[in-house]
Amino acid sequence: MNAALIPRPDTIPVAWGWFQFLLLLTFPLHLLAMNAMVGGLLIGVSQHFQGRPVNLRLAHRLAVLLPLAIAFAVNFGVAPLLFSQVLYGHLFYTSSILMASFWLAVIPILITAYYGAYLYDFRFDDLGVGGRWLGLAVLLMLFVIGYLFSNNMHLMLLTERFAGYFDRMDGSMLASTDPVLLPRYLHMMLGAVAVGGLFVALAGRFWADRDQDMASLAEATGLKTFFWATLANIAIGSWFLVSLPRQTMLLFMGGDIGASVCFVLSLLLTVGMLVTAWKRKFWLTFWHAVATVVLMSFMRAWMRSDYLREVFNLGQLEVVPEYSPMIFFFVVLVAGLVLIGWMLRKTAEAFARS
Amino acid sequence: MNYPVWYLPEVGGGFLIALIAVLHVFVSHFAVGGGLYLIYAEKKGLAENSEGILAFTKRHARFFLLLTVVFGSITGVGIWFIIALVNPAATSSLIHIFVFGWAAEWVFFVVEIVAAFVYYYMFGRMDSRTHLQVGWIYFAAAWMSLLLINGIIAFMLTPGAWLQQQGFWRGFFNPSFWPSLFFRTCVAILLAGCYGYLTASFTRDRQVRLAMTRFSGKWALAATVAAIPFAIWYVLALPDQAAALVLGKSPTIAMAVQWGGVALAGLLAITLTAGIVRPGWNLKPVAFAALLLSLAVMGSFEWIREAARRPWVIGGVMYSNMIRASDVPSLNEKGFLQEARWVANRTVTPENQRRAGRELFIHQCYACHTVGGGNNDIVSRTAAQTYSGLTAYIGRMHQVRPFMPPFAGTEAEARALAAYIVGDLHGKEVKEPVAGKGDPGRLVFEQHCASCHQADEIVQAMGGQSPEEIAGTLETLDQISDEMVPFAGSEVEKRQLSGFLHSGGVGEGGTGSATAVSGPEVFAVHCAACHAPEELPEKIAGRDKQELYELLGRLNELNEEMEPFAGTDEERRALAGHLETLAGGAK
Repeated sequence: MNAALIPRPDTIPVAWGWFQFLLLLTFPLHLLAMNAMVGGLLIGVSQHFQGRPVNLRLAHRLAVLLPLAIAFAVNFGVAPLLFSQVLYGHLFYTSSILMASFWLAVIPILITAYYGAYLYDFRFDDLGVGGRWLGLAVLLMLFVIGYLFSNNMHLMLLTERFAGYFDRMDGSMLASTDPVLLPRYLHMMLGAVAVGGLFVALAGRFWADRDQDMASLAEATGLKTFFWATLANIAIGSWFLVSLPRQTMLLFMGGDIGASVCFVLSLLLTVGMLVTAWKRKFWLTFWHAVATVVLMSFMRAWMRSDYLREVFNLGQLEVVPEYSPMIFFFVVLVAGLVLIGWMLRKTAEAFARS
Repeated sequence: MNYPVWYLPEVGGGFLIALIAVLHVFVSHFAVGGGLYLIYAEKKGLAENSEGILAFTKRHARFFLLLTVVFGSITGVGIWFIIALVNPAATSSLIHIFVFGWAAEWVFFVVEIVAAFVYYYMFGRMDSRTHLQVGWIYFAAAWMSLLLINGIIAFMLTPGAWLQQQGFWRGFFNPSFWPSLFFRTCVAILLAGCYGYLTASFTRDRQVRLAMTRFSGKWALAATVAAIPFAIWYVLALPDQAAALVLGKSPTIAMAVQWGGVALAGLLAITLTAGIVRPGWNLKPVAFAALLLSLAVMGSFEWIREAARRPWVIGGVMYSNMIRASDVPSLNEKGFLQEARWVANRTVTPENQRRAGRELFIHQCYACHTVGGGNNDIVSRTAAQTYSGLTAYIGRMHQVRPFMPPFAGTEAEARALAAYIVGDLHGKEVKEPVAGKGDPGRLVFEQHCASCHQADEIVQAMGGQSPEEIAGTLETLDQISDEMVPFAGSEVEKRQLSGFLHSGGVGEGGTGSATAVSGPEVFAVHCAACHAPEELPEKIAGRDKQELYELLGRLNELNEEMEPFAGTDEERRALAGHLETLAGGAK
């Protein structure tokens, strides 16, 4: 371990538990939006390649939703990135610098993918066959972004690699050679495809009164995608688990009560949602999946703490108490939710009238 | 020092920040003002019952959505990424001090996104009153985002009372908060007018194009006029040093002010003539020119603000190279390399001197200087420097150029840094000074002048002046240029420099480095007004150099009319040696 290289963290204004709470509250929102984005686009592009009229209609509807999904994936990613920087910023900034050239590339790739998504949406008919290749290109860009995120979130845990900086100061380091990274990334992406399937099925329900064939296709395809991707993810998840350092792996097998309970509950939920998906019980599957995503976020936090146990724990963060800004934030949050609720209600009313 | 440095010598982090930041603020301010513009454009369409204007507004809303939600949002994240990569220490400070400000800003960001989507996708599908209310929600959320970020950016420039007693609100409502907020609001409206002007130029319906061009021109003009008092208020709120830089002390800022002023004049000319008076002249190239000029105005403003903050990244707290002001004394005493986390060389030895110097460069200079790059290239900036001159300059850098951070480290580290720059980057000789050799006037020139001037140009400028006249000029350098300060060396150094410049920059001792002080010179400056050399031997006979050195420190004990010697230690030693010679001691 290169403890001497670990930067000194800054002080925090309230107890770290508040930030952990906010992180674990907002990170699942980001994951769900990201899943809708990646999984929705994968299904949309595959429908586009199949080419029958009903497939094209579904692909088009999913293309319309894609920019919205990207907007919320980005937006909901801001809050957890902020709160994780409050808790782990000194490690996150370090890993970001170690892989800076790749990390900064996220921005132009995302802008390109985002504009590509709008082009795919606005010019879906005009693009013809080329559209599906555009959709595929956007999907690949999103996969690359996911890979870079996984890399950074993992590299910040590999403090023993930090000294490699002195051999390459140009920000070209990655965590790719670490045996955990690939299963971690695949587990995340396959999960995104699965949960994205549920969002496609959900969207299908909104289209039922306008295009029954397409809505049925959306629900059937979405649930089927969810089922098979989840099944495959059990294997990938197992690979991820056994690739972890032994002590971290054992954390979920009795080493820590909370982590183990979370793990067992996740397994039970996974089995449950496979059954409900097979039986095409959408809402049951959906809520099982949401609960699993939340539990996975918790397990990720345990894994992170354990990886860092020799160099840092959250209890080391010095608190210089100042609670009024947090109260201000909560007031703003409530007001924001009220405004968003009002706008969505008005939108729903307008749709109902039309 | 607390973090590693992403080192791209030819590129420099500052360039990357500037590139992303200027483009982002150009769009993000539009994202604020544009929201208000859409509301009033829609109201105009409704009031005049004009389908054309409503269609224009919807088209503009689509352009607005594509530009602000995609480019604006992602470059906003991009700024966050790049500042954390280039200056993680400052980013971490700002994140931790203002975390709930950022969090509240995120809430407004979510509201903005939802409102922007509802506004665009429900255009014509929702009753007008509700649709306009959504527009107002958008604008209010966007302006609140501006307010929150403005507080944090203004804090970096003017932390004000926070420096005495820390606290979120004290830092947030800092001295430049309000003028900056109102000024930026005006800029946001100005940009909304420019973007509206652009959309108008693409409008086929002539009546609508003329109407919306004039409408946009009025927005731009009104915002520009309204911005003037806030700009003045803003400058008045700046700390003295920053205000001085903005008002002409800094050549780069002066240039940015000049370019920004030209761009603003051009923009006003376009919006007045091809906007309000002759809206028919609003052709696409004219509209793009207006947009580019507004980008130049915005870029100049941001450049001036950033440059005026120097040498700080957070005023009074942290220098632009991530070194906290409170850490400098300790670093000077213990050594930067000892205290820094991300360096490989912990001490300076003859073997590693240049490697250590390189690390010092990366951690203390690279924040602003590239190596062979376009932005503040250290190679070209130190082309005239010698090792001894640069070593001396590094120690006085912050005094000579207050907008540069002080060097934080020991003398050995300063020499290592100079050795790296002069030896490795310039391939020049790195040789420690040898007492008594070389032309002292040249050395003084290198220490005080060579960082900005070539000897030839100064010799030419001083041509025809006597050494006394040159010495007089050196005392009033600030009258020649705002960027200069009066010569800050000792009297002896001033005489040596005057002599050097008078002699045509040739000097007497070649180009070698040397100790600057000679005993006779010191005697001439400090003693000759009252004492002739020939009267001294009998008064100081029998004393050796060390005794004379000590005596110089308590001359008031010999005679109450005398003061203890007031020169430097080096001068005192040189004078003691000279007196010993006069007394017939060591030769």
